[in-house]
Amino acid sequence: MTGERILVVEDNEKNMKLFRDVLVATGYRTLEATTGGEAVDMASEHTPDLVLMDIQLPDLDGVEALRRLRADERTATIPVLALTAQAMRGDRERFLAEGFDGYVSKPVNVRELIGIVRQHCEGRLG
Amino acid sequence: MAEERDSRVAREGRRRIGDPFVRGVARLPANVRTKLLIAFVGTALLLVAVGLLGQRVLGQSNDRVASVGPLQERAVQYSRLQAEAEHLRGVLSANVAKEFSIGWKDSALPQIRGTYSLAVDLFAVDAADRIGARTAPDRLLFTPPLKDQKILDGIKNTAEKLSTLLLEEVIPVYGDRTTISNEDRDLREEMLPLRADAEQLATDLHQRAADLADGTRAEVEELIARNASSFASSRALFIGVAAGAIVLALLLGFVLSWSVIGPIQNIDTRLAAIASGDFSGRVEVQNRDELGALGANVNRMNDELRRLYNELEEASQHKSEFLANMSHELRTPLNAIIGFSQVLRDEMVGSVNEKQAEYLDDIISSGNHLLSLINDVLDLSKVEAGQVELEVHPFSLREALERGVVMVRERATEDGVRVAFVADPEVDVVAGDERRIKQVIFNLLSNAVKFTPAGGEVDVSATRANGEVRVSVADTGPGIAPEDRERIFEEFQQSETGVGLREGTGLGLALSKRYVELHGGRIWVESELGRGSTFTFALPARSSTS
Repeated sequence: MTGERILVVEDNEKNMKLFRDVLVATGYRTLEATTGGEAVDMASEHTPDLVLMDIQLPDLDGVEALRRLRADERTATIPVLALTAQAMRGDRERFLAEGFDGYVSKPVNVRELIGIVRQHCEGRLG
Repeated sequence: MAEERDSRVAREGRRRIGDPFVRGVARLPANVRTKLLIAFVGTALLLVAVGLLGQRVLGQSNDRVASVGPLQERAVQYSRLQAEAEHLRGVLSANVAKEFSIGWKDSALPQIRGTYSLAVDLFAVDAADRIGARTAPDRLLFTPPLKDQKILDGIKNTAEKLSTLLLEEVIPVYGDRTTISNEDRDLREEMLPLRADAEQLATDLHQRAADLADGTRAEVEELIARNASSFASSRALFIGVAAGAIVLALLLGFVLSWSVIGPIQNIDTRLAAIASGDFSGRVEVQNRDELGALGANVNRMNDELRRLYNELEEASQHKSEFLANMSHELRTPLNAIIGFSQVLRDEMVGSVNEKQAEYLDDIISSGNHLLSLINDVLDLSKVEAGQVELEVHPFSLREALERGVVMVRERATEDGVRVAFVADPEVDVVAGDERRIKQVIFNLLSNAVKFTPAGGEVDVSATRANGEVRVSVADTGPGIAPEDRERIFEEFQQSETGVGLREGTGLGLALSKRYVELHGGRIWVESELGRGSTFTFALPARSSTS
């Protein structure tokens, strides 16, 4: 357990609790944002190791938030995973094309989520 | 697109007839039937006019020919009159010593040279009487015109005078002689002035007859010449009018037909565009007849179709958005349900007992079932809304089948079911939507494994025949009752046995059927209760439905 900091961007309270508890139980530290704007601010302030980004958010949507992260050199290299209930056909390809480093659809398989998070954190360190 | 439209407009424009006559006829506020009637009646009237003119020309020509006949008859009669007058003059001249001697100079009768003969003079009287008689209308066999009549009267008078002169003055000179010879000088002296008078009268007579005959002949010639020239001009007039009528009739036909065909072509072009889904244009028909009404209706139809099309598109857009939202909104709580259950089940927050673990597994599998139901409903809604566009590419059907078999084999082995796969060597690459065909294959395979009891087997085979590729999945399950064999392809309709099993969304076969049919193929089942079922789908070997 290296205790990487993961920024979870999620507007649904219960899902936020799920992701927080899973990540903390797995040994990560979490930062939490419930809107896109908040996510961008927190990312530039704390420069987390990974961002799990919901797409449908109250103010900026996840895609726009990603653009802002990429535009700011402090946050440009942070890996960002789309973590979304937008899981219609073609959505995965669409989000990867937008520049997300990965895509996890809701409902998530907790073990899979942990696997992907771990993979990206290790990839970043290595 | 815009460019294409421009070129089409140009094409339509070219078809529009620029002829002002055609436009004029098109704009006439009368229906096509009336226009046609007018055109036909117009053409018929032209024909009648040409016919009447022809008849008149022919009649005039006939009249002229007829008028030549009597004139010629007159000329002949007058010529005879002239001939007789000339003869009379000759006879009288011959009886005058001087001329007589000349006239008879070479005669075989020299002894009668210079002799007046009573017989000759009597003959002259006869001739003069005959000429006089000949001027009478009943002898002429026609009624001479006034100017001829005057001359004829003159001839008759002169002939009578001559006759009288001869009878009453010349012939008494003979006394009882039959001739007066050169020696009878006294008598000759007496005769000479009389003869000069007679000769003068005869010459006069001849002159009149000659005038009459010559005049009439000239008249005949003039009439013939006049006939010839008026025939020529009549013919020219007739030909001209006939040609004009033909040109006019052709023009009438041309103008009328283009005033009809032009709009029809315009309307046809527009309809073809509408049929191919282009509602952007309007047809321009200037006619104020049925075609104008047709054009207006086509435009109204176009507008109405465009409105409906836009509405449909909007509705379809709304539906798509609704489906996307629904999917999102259902998945969000499902994320918490499944996620927390997994957290508990994996004992990340403390241990659970056996019963609790079982219930958590039930929550998780029900959650996953709900998820696949959401996916299937969305897929089906898209198919129903016609929003599914197949992504047709050539792909290896054999590989797809092999992968499907691999995917179900694990579960099959767990359940004690053997899965076998046989494919014809010709079955390989087909054109189709790979992902959806795989979905169909997986659906059939997982159904077969699900319904086959332990120890049973699932046989997958692929063949190619009659221009189609067939994939069959045969199981040794419970089979499907005949009354269920159609129903199972409908939404949420499962067989009795299927209802017994708690798995399945009841949408898999309905979706499979839709996908196969979108490819232009078909799917069906053969089954025997207690023995098993064989599901088969067939795709056109060249399945390019896009």
